[in-house]
Amino acid sequence: MPGLFTLGGPRRIRFHQRVQLWGIGFVLPTILFFAVFKFGPMLWAVGLSFMSYDMMSAPTFIGLDNYRNLVADPVFRASLFNTLVYIGGSTSLITLVGLGLAVAIKTRVPGARYYMVGMFLTNLIPIIVVCLIWRFLLHPHGLMTQLLHPFGIQRVDWLTNSSLALPAIIFVTVWRFAPYFMVVFLAGLLAIPEDYYEAARLDGANAVSRFWHITLPLLAPTIFFVVVVSALLSARIFLMPYFMTGGGPGNATRVLSMLIFETGFSYLKMGQAAAISVVLFAIMLVFTFAQMRLFERGELKSVG
Amino acid sequence: MTDDKSSKPESKTGNFSRRDVLSITAAGALAAATAPISRIASAQAKKPINISFWTFENPQQRPWVHKRVNMFMEKNPNVKVDFQYFAFGDLGKKVSVGFATGTAPDGFVSQDWFMPTWQAKGLLAPLDVQRLGYSSLKTFTDDFAPAFVAGAVQKGKAYGYPLWFYGYVNYLNTKQFKEVGLDAAKDWPKTWDQLGEVAKRLTIKEGNKFTRQGFKFAMHTAAWTMFQFNAILHQCGGAWFDKAGKCTINNAAGLKAMTIRASIAKQYGAEDPADSIATGPLPQMDWLKERASMFFCHPIPPAAIESQNPKMLSEGYFRPVQYPGVQAGKGYTTTYGFNLVVNARAAKEKQEALQDMYKFMMSDLGDAWKDTAPFPPARKSGWADKPEVKKFPYVDEIIIARDRGVALPQTVVYNELGDAVHKGIQQIMLNNADIQKTLNEIAAEVDRATAAFKPT
Repeated sequence: MPGLFTLGGPRRIRFHQRVQLWGIGFVLPTILFFAVFKFGPMLWAVGLSFMSYDMMSAPTFIGLDNYRNLVADPVFRASLFNTLVYIGGSTSLITLVGLGLAVAIKTRVPGARYYMVGMFLTNLIPIIVVCLIWRFLLHPHGLMTQLLHPFGIQRVDWLTNSSLALPAIIFVTVWRFAPYFMVVFLAGLLAIPEDYYEAARLDGANAVSRFWHITLPLLAPTIFFVVVVSALLSARIFLMPYFMTGGGPGNATRVLSMLIFETGFSYLKMGQAAAISVVLFAIMLVFTFAQMRLFERGELKSVG
Repeated sequence: MTDDKSSKPESKTGNFSRRDVLSITAAGALAAATAPISRIASAQAKKPINISFWTFENPQQRPWVHKRVNMFMEKNPNVKVDFQYFAFGDLGKKVSVGFATGTAPDGFVSQDWFMPTWQAKGLLAPLDVQRLGYSSLKTFTDDFAPAFVAGAVQKGKAYGYPLWFYGYVNYLNTKQFKEVGLDAAKDWPKTWDQLGEVAKRLTIKEGNKFTRQGFKFAMHTAAWTMFQFNAILHQCGGAWFDKAGKCTINNAAGLKAMTIRASIAKQYGAEDPADSIATGPLPQMDWLKERASMFFCHPIPPAAIESQNPKMLSEGYFRPVQYPGVQAGKGYTTTYGFNLVVNARAAKEKQEALQDMYKFMMSDLGDAWKDTAPFPPARKSGWADKPEVKKFPYVDEIIIARDRGVALPQTVVYNELGDAVHKGIQQIMLNNADIQKTLNEIAAEVDRATAAFKPT
C-alpha cells in the first residue's frame, strides 16, 4: 500500500493511528494464539456441554440433558461439595499459614533465612513424589500417626476414613503451597515503608495494632492476589486426590477435576465432562468476582 | 550326475583361458551374492505397508510381543510396524482418545472387558479366521475357553484373536501355613467359611496393628475389585444385570456375595482393608513381602517373585490353589484376557497384514510359554502338552482356573460398573457402610450410566 505510512498525500494516516496500527500488529500474534489455543477450546467445551459425544462418533445436540443428568447425579453433588470444601479449606489455610510464615521471617526469628529456604524446597519436589511420600507418611501406622503415640493415639486412618481423607489432602496442599505464597507475602511486607511502623511505635501502638492497622491494609492487594490465585489453583486440583486416594474412600475426596477426567476419558462421555467443566469454570468465575468486589469495597472503605 | 557328464566340463576347462575362468567365477559369485538381494527385492516389490500397533506394559508379556513383531518384520520386509506400549491401566484410555482424534492404532491388544465398548461402536474389524489358520469359526471357537468366546465372538464373527487368558488362583504361603500347624496341600480353604477360619488362624496382630494378615483382598484399583468379586457374585447365584439390562447387584445373591467379601475382615478379623503396600504395578506385594498369607491373583511369574522375595522362590514355599466355593470343591474364579484386534478404520491391506502378523505371533506358543510363563495362552492347542509346560510347578491349577473361570460382565458401561463397585466396597470395608444400602447405591449409579449410554 504505497503511502500508507508516509506523511502527506490524500490517504495519509495520522500519527496516533499509525501508532495504533503498530500496536495492533505487535499484539495480534498473541491475541491469535490465545484465540486459537485458549479461548477457542473453551468455547468448544461450552458448545460440547450441550452435546452427546463419545469421542468415537460425531457429536449430537441434546440440549440441557447433560446439565439435567448432573443435577440428578449424587456423585456430581458429592464432588461439587468436596471441591467447595477443598477450595475454602486450602485457600484460607494457605493464606493464613503463608502470611504467618512471611511475618515470622520478616521479624527475623533466629535462622529465618534457612527456614525459608527449607520450606520453599517443598515447591521443588515433583508433585508425584510429594503424593507418594505423603501416602507413606499418612499410612495408618505411618510417621504422622507415630507422632501422636505420646498422646495415646495408636492408629489414624488418615486417607481411608471418609471424615479425615479430605482434610488430610488439604493439609498436604497447604504444606506444599503455603511456602510459595509465603515468598509472595514477604515481597509485599518488604515493600511497606518502615517509617509507618516507626511512627506507630512512637504513638505507642503495640505489635498487634501495628499488624492490624498498618500491615494488613497495606498488604490487601497481595492478600487479594494470594486468595484468588490459591483459590483458582485449588479449584483445579487433580493430582493430589488422584494419586493419594483415587477419589476415595467412596466419593470422599473426589473433586470436580477428577470427575471431569473420569467422565470424559474413562466413561467416554465428553459432553457430560464438558458440562462439569462449565460448572467448575462458573465456580471459579463467581469466586473471582466475589473476591474482587470484596476487596474493592474494602479499599473504598479505607480511602473513605 | 554321471561320471561322463561330469567329465565333460573338466575336459573343456582345459580350453578356457585364465580370463574366461575368472569371468565365469566372478559371474557365479555375483549370482550367488545377489540371490538373497533379489529375493529381498522381490519382497520389497510388494507394496510397503506401515502398521501401528499398541499393547500394554508387562515385564514378561510386552517384550515377547515385541520380539514376535520384530521377527514378523524380518520375514516381511515390506511391512513396517510402529510398536508402542502403555501402562496397563492407560491402554484403553489411549485407544479411546486415538479413536476420537483419528490416531487410533491399526491394531492393538484389547483387554477383553473393553471388547463390548469397541464392538458397540463398530470400531473393530471382523477377523478372517481362515487367514488365521482355522477352517471355520467353529474350529476357531472350539480352540478357546468359553469365557473368551463370550467376549470376542459376536453375531457369528470373531473380533478378537486371543493372546493370553487366565483365571485367578489363591496363592498360599506354605511356610506360614506350616507355622500354624496347617498342611497347605490338604488344608487349603475349599469354602469361603474355611477361608475365613484359616485366614484367622494365620493372622498375627499386635494391638490394633496387623503384622500379618491371614488373607488379603486387593483394595487399590477398580479393575482388581472386579476380578476378585465377580466370581463370588456368580458363585452365590447372582448376576450383574437382568435381561432388561438393569443392574441386579443389590438382590439377595448380591447381598450374600458382598457379605462373604466383607466377612474376612468383619467376621473373622483376618485382614485390614486400610493397611496395604500394594500398588498398581504390584498388587500382590503384601503377599510377596509375607505381610499376607493368602492372596487371589493371576498367575505370578517366577521373576516377579524373585524380584521381591528371592528366598520365597528359591525355597519354593508357595503354591497356587483354586478359589474357595460356596460349596466345597465347586470354587471357580474370574477369567479374563487379552485379544489381538484390528481397527475397523484401517485400510484393507493393513487389516490383512495385521492378521498375518497375529497368526505369526501365535504360531509358536512354546516360545510364548518360555518367555512369559506361567501366563497361559488362551488357545487350548499347541502348548499345554509341551514338556517345559508340564514340568512347570502347579501348572494344572493355572489351567483349571482358566478353563473353569467365569467371564467378567460383558457390558458397555464396564468402567462405570467397576468404579461404582470399587467405591461401594471402600464404603463397606473402610467406613462400615450398610451393605444393602451401598448395593442399592451401586445399582442406581450403574443404571444411570446405562441409561445415559447412547449406542452409535
